Amino acid sequence: MPIRIDPEQVELRALRPAAPWRGARVLEIGCGDGRLTRRLARLGAQVIAIDPDRAAIRIARKTLPKSYARQVRYAVGTAGRLDLWPAGSFDIVVFAWSL
Amino acid sequence: MVHALNEAHRVLRPHGLLIDLRPAPAHRRVGLQRGRRWTLIATMKEDLTDDHLANQAVSTAIGRGLFRRELYDRFELKRHVGGLSAFRAWLEDFVLRSGLPSHEWLVDRVAAALARGSTRATVVVRGPLELRVLRKRG
Repeated sequence: MPIRIDPEQVELRALRPAAPWRGARVLEIGCGDGRLTRRLARLGAQVIAIDPDRAAIRIARKTLPKSYARQVRYAVGTAGRLDLWPAGSFDIVVFAWSL
Repeated sequence: MVHALNEAHRVLRPHGLLIDLRPAPAHRRVGLQRGRRWTLIATMKEDLTDDHLANQAVSTAIGRGLFRRELYDRFELKRHVGGLSAFRAWLEDFVLRSGLPSHEWLVDRVAAALARGSTRATVVVRGPLELRVLRKRG
């Protein structure tokens, strides 16, 4: 049986009222294998998700449901190197277990 | 951490939101879940230095006027690991990534608990998570 993190979805219930997710441009830092990214996409966000771990990004890309393909983009990257994006690019920045 | 917060501040639009979601500075608890009942076996021994440093970095960013606090929430998160071998594999990986001393004693405790007639139970690791929502100033 694979490890299941938060099958009760308490994390999603806490995040839902925390921000206006629908249509928001979100940068997720430290996305790992994309577990939280998929939840943010489910909330309607447009997500760019980064992580320094290439292997984790590969898994994240592989496990992304097709229905979220237009909402989510994964990239290898770190919080210290956000110079790819100009100032003011995002409505929401999420540190996902990564600060 | 402070540099990461500075970068996050830069790429946020004016009045954008920063969401900081991470485990609280508290040791994870390992137990057995049977049906709706969870029973504690033992508490892990983690190094919480980075958690406290991250809290300090957030306070510094707020103190420097980059953000203001908007919301705080704390809730319990469960990781359903499975049986003993899955728990051992998860723990070994966790200890390696976190640079912790061996937690073999914990595997022994879980094995003993499962052997005491709890073979149909699932190993569940739980701990508090903190959610901070900060709003960019200016």
